[in-house]
Amino acid sequence: MRICRVGIPFAVCCGLAILFAAQSSIAQTSAPATKSATAAQPAPQAFNPHDLNGVWFDDHPRPMTVMERYWAYKFTEGEPPMTAWGQSEYAAAKPSFGPHAFPLAQTNDPVYHTCSPLGFPRIFLYPLPFQIVQTPGEVILLFEYDWHRHQIFTDGRAHDTSLGPLWMGDSIGHWEGDTLVADTANFNDKTWLDRTGHPHSDQLHVIERIRRTDHDHLVDDLTIEDPKAYTMPWTAHLMFVLKPKWTIAESFCEDEESFAGIDVDAATPEKK
Amino acid sequence: MRHCCFPTIMTAVLAMSLGGAPRALSHAKPASAPVKSAGNFDPHDLTGVWMQDRPRPGTVLERYWIYELTAEEPPMTEWGLAQFHAAKSSYGVHAVPISQTNDSLYHNCTPPGFPRAYFHAFPIQIVQTPGEVIVLFEWDSLRHQIFTDGRKHDTSLGPLWMGDAIGHWEGDTLVADTVNFNDKTWLDRIGHPHSEQLHVVERIRRVDHDHLEDEVTIDDPKAYTRPWSGRIVFALKPAWTLAEEFCEDIRSFDGIEAQEVTPSK
Repeated sequence: MRICRVGIPFAVCCGLAILFAAQSSIAQTSAPATKSATAAQPAPQAFNPHDLNGVWFDDHPRPMTVMERYWAYKFTEGEPPMTAWGQSEYAAAKPSFGPHAFPLAQTNDPVYHTCSPLGFPRIFLYPLPFQIVQTPGEVILLFEYDWHRHQIFTDGRAHDTSLGPLWMGDSIGHWEGDTLVADTANFNDKTWLDRTGHPHSDQLHVIERIRRTDHDHLVDDLTIEDPKAYTMPWTAHLMFVLKPKWTIAESFCEDEESFAGIDVDAATPEKK
Repeated sequence: MRHCCFPTIMTAVLAMSLGGAPRALSHAKPASAPVKSAGNFDPHDLTGVWMQDRPRPGTVLERYWIYELTAEEPPMTEWGLAQFHAAKSSYGVHAVPISQTNDSLYHNCTPPGFPRAYFHAFPIQIVQTPGEVIVLFEWDSLRHQIFTDGRKHDTSLGPLWMGDAIGHWEGDTLVADTVNFNDKTWLDRIGHPHSEQLHVVERIRRVDHDHLEDEVTIDDPKAYTRPWSGRIVFALKPAWTLAEEFCEDIRSFDGIEAQEVTPSK
């Protein structure tokens, strides 16, 4: 077993995330986060919309309880439109997170007992930063979590269907104006779509519309399509903020003990 | 358990790199006499996909660079020797069958750590930002992130599997200094040890358009009586990309053992 090790760095990071959350929560007591951010900004800083380089971190508003932050464990506040197969998979899932959480000992989340890779797009639902690095033909997301990599080829190649089913899928992208449109397919069906056990099959197809809205902010509009699991495509809106002074740390899932602290501190706090 | 899989790609890459496929014969002596390449290059630009590039003797075991840094035995301390003797590697001259190995990679899919990550038959990709040179390993998605922005080592991090790496340019050579290691990994694939005192200095240089050399110096006073070094040589693979390669469980290695790991047995 392995994968999330990271005793110290993970703890540091989670600490950072929690601290960040706490500070944001305090800030929100005086004014809503999104509005105050816009109003407080003096002159907008110049940026190249095709330059996505930097370390980015989740930037949703922070209500006081973890459970109110659906974006910490799933993609939309409402239920996605599941097929009968999708619903039966979802009913069989015993997540350790979210409103229907089970204790860690009872979860059948593939990540917790075996440290299997999170897969894509679940990788976005963790309170750890990622770094974007661009090369002339690629936009690469390097996730702090377990060295995961979301490598989007922008050199005009087509999907390579000879590659597997993959944990993170096969990604190609192109620019439409100032929006990077990334198309990811070729998934295996071993992962959950999110932390609460919403399913996907190997027919999963994810389209992202990634756009830098200003110097400090990035949005990623996901369209999730999987005719086996969902009756129609559905969308999610992810928001990230630039962290110019941050770097991504080493974070490695080693065994389920790695999750012990997370369980107590963050995962199911309202169960206490 | 988890990590490693992808039998098809892994097997294909191994077959290519170990099996004497045609491309493997193209560079006879890259280490001592780099093949001249016509392409112009910026010596400070290390970006691209690189693959170990050494001569290919007939048997896998003659290719020490696939599993260790030097052909000679490194100068181990008493502690180092004891550790080395306790290691039961599934690879190299004293290989045991995989079922008997105590290599934690095989049973637990733990990260190979650094510099062991270099000794696997998978390519690396180097990407650069203004303040970093990042080595991305196909193997297990590992990263060797070298900060070149002038920062110091961050002793608050650690101990780490891949260590904390900082670097600077000396002329056309990137000198990378990596410390803050945990002691859970072997230095290489045959079980040479290291302690938390491991300190790795790399001198990375693009010798021509198509070749990269990495002079690796190992300093670990607990495990070795003195610093020692070896050289890793890479060739540029312009048409390659890194594949996805996650170690999933011990079964991931079944095919490799049969085909490649202990062929001399």
